[in-house]
Amino acid sequence: MEKIKEILNKFDMEYVEDYKPTWVKAKLKDKKDIVDVVKALKEAGVASCSTVSPTDFPEENRMEINYFLEDIENKKNVWLKVDIDRDLEKCEIDSITPVLESADYHELESYSTFGVKFKGHPNLRYFLISADYYGKFPFRKDFDWEEHEKQLIENVNAISDEFFEEYEENEETMGHEDSRTVLHWGPTHPASGPIRLKVYVNGENIEKVEPDIGYVWRALEKLAERKDFIGTIVAVERVCFMDNTNPMICYAQAVEEIAGKEITPFAKYMRVILGELGRTVSHLISMGGFFGTMGLQTFLMWCLDVREYFLDVLEDYSGARIATACIEPGGVRYPLNDYKAWFEEINKAIEKWESVKPDIEDIFMKNPLMVTRAKNTGVFTKEDVVENYLAGPIARASNVKVDVRIDEPYAGYADLEMDYVTCDSGDARDRLFIIYKEINQSIDLIRQAMKKIEEGIEAGEMDPKKDHMVKMPRRMPEGEAVSRVEWARGEMLMHLVTMPKSTNPYRLKIKAPSVNHTRILEKLIPGHTLSDIPLLYGSMHICQGDLDR
Amino acid sequence: MSVWEMLFYILVFPGLLFLLGWTFFVFYFSRKVLAYVHKRVGPHYNGPAGSLQTVWDVFKLLTKESITPKSADPYLFNIIPIITPLVAALPVILIPWTPLINNGHAILDTDYGVLGLVVLIGVEPFLLFLTGFGSHNKYSFLGGMRILAQMISMEAPFFLAALSPALLFGTMNLYEIMYSNTWLTTLILLPGAIIFIITMLGILEQPPFNIPDAEQEIVYGFYTEYAGTNYTLLKFAEFTEILVVSAAAVTLFFGGYRGLFFDSFWWLFLKIALLAVVMVAIRASNPRLRLDQMLKFTWSWLTPLAILNLVWITFAKLYIVGV
Repeated sequence: MEKIKEILNKFDMEYVEDYKPTWVKAKLKDKKDIVDVVKALKEAGVASCSTVSPTDFPEENRMEINYFLEDIENKKNVWLKVDIDRDLEKCEIDSITPVLESADYHELESYSTFGVKFKGHPNLRYFLISADYYGKFPFRKDFDWEEHEKQLIENVNAISDEFFEEYEENEETMGHEDSRTVLHWGPTHPASGPIRLKVYVNGENIEKVEPDIGYVWRALEKLAERKDFIGTIVAVERVCFMDNTNPMICYAQAVEEIAGKEITPFAKYMRVILGELGRTVSHLISMGGFFGTMGLQTFLMWCLDVREYFLDVLEDYSGARIATACIEPGGVRYPLNDYKAWFEEINKAIEKWESVKPDIEDIFMKNPLMVTRAKNTGVFTKEDVVENYLAGPIARASNVKVDVRIDEPYAGYADLEMDYVTCDSGDARDRLFIIYKEINQSIDLIRQAMKKIEEGIEAGEMDPKKDHMVKMPRRMPEGEAVSRVEWARGEMLMHLVTMPKSTNPYRLKIKAPSVNHTRILEKLIPGHTLSDIPLLYGSMHICQGDLDR
Repeated sequence: MSVWEMLFYILVFPGLLFLLGWTFFVFYFSRKVLAYVHKRVGPHYNGPAGSLQTVWDVFKLLTKESITPKSADPYLFNIIPIITPLVAALPVILIPWTPLINNGHAILDTDYGVLGLVVLIGVEPFLLFLTGFGSHNKYSFLGGMRILAQMISMEAPFFLAALSPALLFGTMNLYEIMYSNTWLTTLILLPGAIIFIITMLGILEQPPFNIPDAEQEIVYGFYTEYAGTNYTLLKFAEFTEILVVSAAAVTLFFGGYRGLFFDSFWWLFLKIALLAVVMVAIRASNPRLRLDQMLKFTWSWLTPLAILNLVWITFAKLYIVGV
C-alpha cells in the first residue's frame, strides 16, 4: 500500500488517501499524466483495469473519470480520478488500453455513453448502442430525450441498412474464389443468447471473431438515476436474472456506506444466505448450459429440476421466484416470521441437490466425450487472467486466488469459514468443475450462516421479526462509494455518486464481469474450428444481461 | 406375385402405411423416453399419454408453407425431398419382416441381400449432401460437407461390420443369415454388432455423431432452409432410414423376427425398439463430438477394429463353428 502511495505521490496529485483496507483513492490534477501513472502502477503490480466510469457534472463543466485499477494477486487496488472538460469537442483523454488491455471495452462503453474520446485507442467505435440511436451519448445529463423519441421512428431502418452494407462489403472483399466467408453466430441461436459473433471462417477453421453486443441494452445505469434509492434495487437486480440477489447486496452496501449506517448481524447473515442461494441458482444454469452447448440437454433439465427447489426457497421468503427484490439499503426487505419453516425449506433444497450429486458426478463430470472435447481446450494462464482481468470462476479455474468474499469481506462472510476454490489447468473442463465445486461451497456457507442465525436467536441476540432492517435516512448526504461483491460470474463493482439531500442516485456505474469475458473471445476462439465456438463460449459463463446492462 | 399383393406391399406393409405408422411411433417413443430421462413429462395432452401429439405435429407441418429460397436452385431444392424418402424406403423389400409374408422370406429374396442393403443405405447421405448444396446457404453447405466427411469415414467400418455375418455363414442372403444364427453365433458376432451399432449412429446422424445438423454450431445443417412439406418428407426419410438400419442390424446380428417360443413380426419390433432405447439413452447422456475427433475415431480405431473383427470371424468360422 505504502509503495503504491509513494508512486502516486511522485505525480501531481490533488490528494492521495486510504479508502477501505484494500483501496487507495487518488485524484490526478493533469489528465496528460494518466498514461504515465498507469504505466508506473503497472510496474508495481496493479496490472488490471476493473472498469472506467465517467461522471458528468454539467454545472461545473467537468467530466470526472474514475479508473478502478486492481492488483488481483496482492489485493491492492487504486481508485484514480481525473477531471476533463465536458464539451463534446474537448472531451478527450489518452487511452490506457495500450498499457492495460483490460480497459478496452470499458473505454468503448464510456465513449458510447458519455462521448469521452480516448486518444490512442486501437479501435474506437460505437458500442452497445445500435445504429438507429439518435443523438449519441445517452448517459450525459443533458441528453435530449424528447428529441430522441421523435427521431427514433425515422431512424428505424438504420440497422438493416447497415447490415446489408456490411453484407455487400463482405461479398466484395471475400469474393467467391476460396473457402473464406463470414458466418453469424447469434443473436437468435440455441446456445448464444442475445449476442452476435461475426465469425470469419476458412472452411471450418476460424480466423477472426468480432463480438457484436447491445441486443439487450436497457440503460440500467441511467434508469437508476430516475428512481429513488429503494426503487433502484428493481433496476439493479435486473442486471441478470440468473443471480439476482448479489447485485442488490452490492448496491445496498454502497448506499449504506454513503449514509454511514451499519446493518444488524441478522441482516448480514440473511444476506449471506440469499446471496449464496442466488449463486447456486445461477451456477446450476451455467453448469447445465455448458453441456447444452455440446448438444446435450439432459443435464440442463436435471439442473433446472434442482433449481426449482432453490427458487421455492426464494419464493417463500420474498414472494417472487426470479426477480425477488428482497435486499434493500438497510438490511433485508422482509422479517423472518417463521424462521424454522424457512430453514426447513432450505434443507429440502439442499437435500435435493445432495441426492442428485452422485449421478451428476458419474454421468456428467466424468463423461468421456465431454473430457475429449473440453480438456486442454481454451486454456487461460495466470498471465492471461491478469492481463485481461478475467474474474471469478474463470480466474479461479486458472488457479488465481481471487474471491471478493475473502479479499474484502462483506455481509457476514468475515465470520464464516471458507477458502479459495481453485482448479489447476484453466481449460474449459476446469471452468465446468469450478462451478460444480462452488455450488458445494455455497451450500456449505448457507449451512454455516443458518447455524449462526439459529445460535443468535437462541442466545437472544437476534430477533428475526425486527432485526431485518435499520432505519435509513430518506435523503442521502453527498458522497460517493465503491462497493464490490463476488457475483456468480465474478467481481461486481458498483460506483455510486450522490448529491447533497438527494432522493435518487446521481450516478450509478455497474461493472459486471461478462464484459471482459466477452472481449477475451476475440483472442480465445480463433484457431479453433466451428464446433468449438459454443463450447468455449459456454465455458465463459457469459450472461448478456450483465454484458449490456 | 399378383397385382393386389404388390399393391399391398407398396401401400400397406411393409410400405407406406407401415412406414408412416413407424414414423409416428418412433417420433413419439423417442420423445417420451427422452422426456423420462430429462425428468420431464413429454407429450401429454393429445390422445392417451400424448400419443397423438406426433400425428398432429406431422399434419401441422404438412399444412405449413413450403418455402423455396430465392437464391436456391429450385429444381434440386424441391426434387431431393421427394427422392430421399423413396431411396430410404427401398431397402424394406430386402428385409424379411414376418413369417406371414412370402413364407418368411424377404419380398425380394435375393442372394445379394447384404450388398443391396449396404449400397441403398449408403446412397442416402449423398442425397442429403445435395439438399445442403442446393439450398445455397452457408450453414446448409457446411452441413452438407460435414455429412460427406462423416459418411466417407463411417461407411468403411459399417460395410466391414455388415460383412461379418455374411463371412461367418457363407451367404449374403438375409433369410439364410437370419436362420443360421444361433446363440453361439450371436456371441461370436457380438464385436461386429457393436461396431455396426456405433457406425449406425454415425450414419443416422444420431448423437454423439449428430455433427451434420449440430444446431449449436451450424443452425440446422442441411435442413436449415427446408420448411413445410419438404421438411416433413426429409424427416420421414430420416425416420424410415432409422427403421431400415435398425432392422438390418437386428436381421444381421440378432436373428430378425425369430424369437423364443414363436416367430413373429413382434419379436423383430421388440428388438428394434430395444435398439431405439439404446440410441435414446446414448443421446440423453453424451455430448456431441467434434468433426476432427470423429474422423480420428473412425479411421484410427473403428476401421482397424472392424478389420480385426473379420479376422476373428474367420478364426471362429474355422475353429469354433466349423466349416
